[in-house]
Amino acid sequence: MSEWVRVCAAEEIDEEDLIRFDHGGCSFAVYNTEKGFFATDGYCSHEAQHLEDGLVMGTVIECPLHQGRFEITTGKALSAPVCVDLQTYPIKLEDGDIFIRL
Amino acid sequence: MTGNIATNAASSGIVFDRKKLKALAKRSDRPGLIWLAQWVVLLTVTGWIVYLTLGSWWLLPAMMVYGTVLTVPAYALSHECAHGTAFRTRWLNEACLWLGSLIYFEEPHHRRYSHTRHHTYTWHVGKDSQMPFDTPMTFRGWLLETTGIALFSYEIRVFALNALGRFSDETRTFTPVSELPKLKWGARACLAVYALLTALVASGSVWPLYFILLPRLLGGPVMLLFTLIQHVELQENSPSILESTRSFRTGCIGRFLYMNMNNHVEHHLYPLVPFHGLPALSKAIADQLPEPDPGFFRTNWEVFQVVLHRSLGRSTKAPSLRQAPNMITAGGFDRLSKASMS
Ligand code: FES
Repeated sequence: MSEWVRVCAAEEIDEEDLIRFDHGGCSFAVYNTEKGFFATDGYCSHEAQHLEDGLVMGTVIECPLHQGRFEITTGKALSAPVCVDLQTYPIKLEDGDIFIRL
Repeated sequence: MTGNIATNAASSGIVFDRKKLKALAKRSDRPGLIWLAQWVVLLTVTGWIVYLTLGSWWLLPAMMVYGTVLTVPAYALSHECAHGTAFRTRWLNEACLWLGSLIYFEEPHHRRYSHTRHHTYTWHVGKDSQMPFDTPMTFRGWLLETTGIALFSYEIRVFALNALGRFSDETRTFTPVSELPKLKWGARACLAVYALLTALVASGSVWPLYFILLPRLLGGPVMLLFTLIQHVELQENSPSILESTRSFRTGCIGRFLYMNMNNHVEHHLYPLVPFHGLPALSKAIADQLPEPDPGFFRTNWEVFQVVLHRSLGRSTKAPSLRQAPNMITAGGFDRLSKASMS
């Protein structure tokens, strides 16, 4: 059974940036991109590195450890060394707050 | 997999403002293209001098200079492009990864994947796949390393195994299974290029010999002296990059040829910062870092003295070089680690 969980106020995530969001023993990355807000798994699919210190370029997130890249809107792995996609999660905005469906 | 285990800024206790880091990590094609153009000009000038000295004794020094200008930047470019940070445009980055790696003598996919382990487990015995020599280093190890014998014998074996699709356990530890075919075809493509160059020379064409093969061999030791001092005499198995890695001062020529990788501690702390952002990063976090070691020549001279003294059973304390405590003895030593690139 999925549920909408509040992440933070939208203004807390800078443009072209992300924050880490932990919930229920899982970790997520929530992004503010030029195309809107998105959410993916928090950990890179290559090794045990959280994406929170990564670099957002347009709708691409680059992992801070080995610079693997993912398309934020789809979670697709774009360039080596990553080759496994990230899971994405629905996001909605309500009264200035961001919610993630888990 | 969860939990941060990598050797980086977090594991080294370094803090830096996120907004400033993002500004320094910003990608652009411009600095890389300017660097590339300058490299081409330098290669043209020094290559022209090689051409003018053909048939005279001046050929050897001219070729050594040209070989240095060819080989050190090829290594640096291959490294920067393995990170994907040299250019914002992806195809440019990948094209330069191939060019640099072909000259450096490593298959590009292998280069990228083995380097990921070097960042995750920097200088961790049995885990870092780019520990090129046994530690502590002896005079014999220094000779094998700086002449390129160690690198060539390792890479030839990797090329052969990967081209046959018989990947070593080491290669399998850092390469996702789905990527192994790329290593195989990459190795075959590289070997085809090397075979073509050899065939050209065998058929009487001298230009690959004078402008690629011999300069690569002659410039190799200078390149290896740059890479040698990245971690030599420093601490194995430390979570802190400050203990395992060395930055050193060098002049504008060294910084250019090496794409600012003399800021090696800074690079390992924040590998997402491109080469052109490293000097500013270095300044910004200088108060949290150890002093860089003295210049390229002085650092290498002290390393040479230390390894010679070690092999002669004398004290291994260097005059000013930063050394891990376990590297310093009054005489004699115990083997601490075996090279992973052997
Ligand atoms: S951990 Fe993300 S690219 Fe390696």
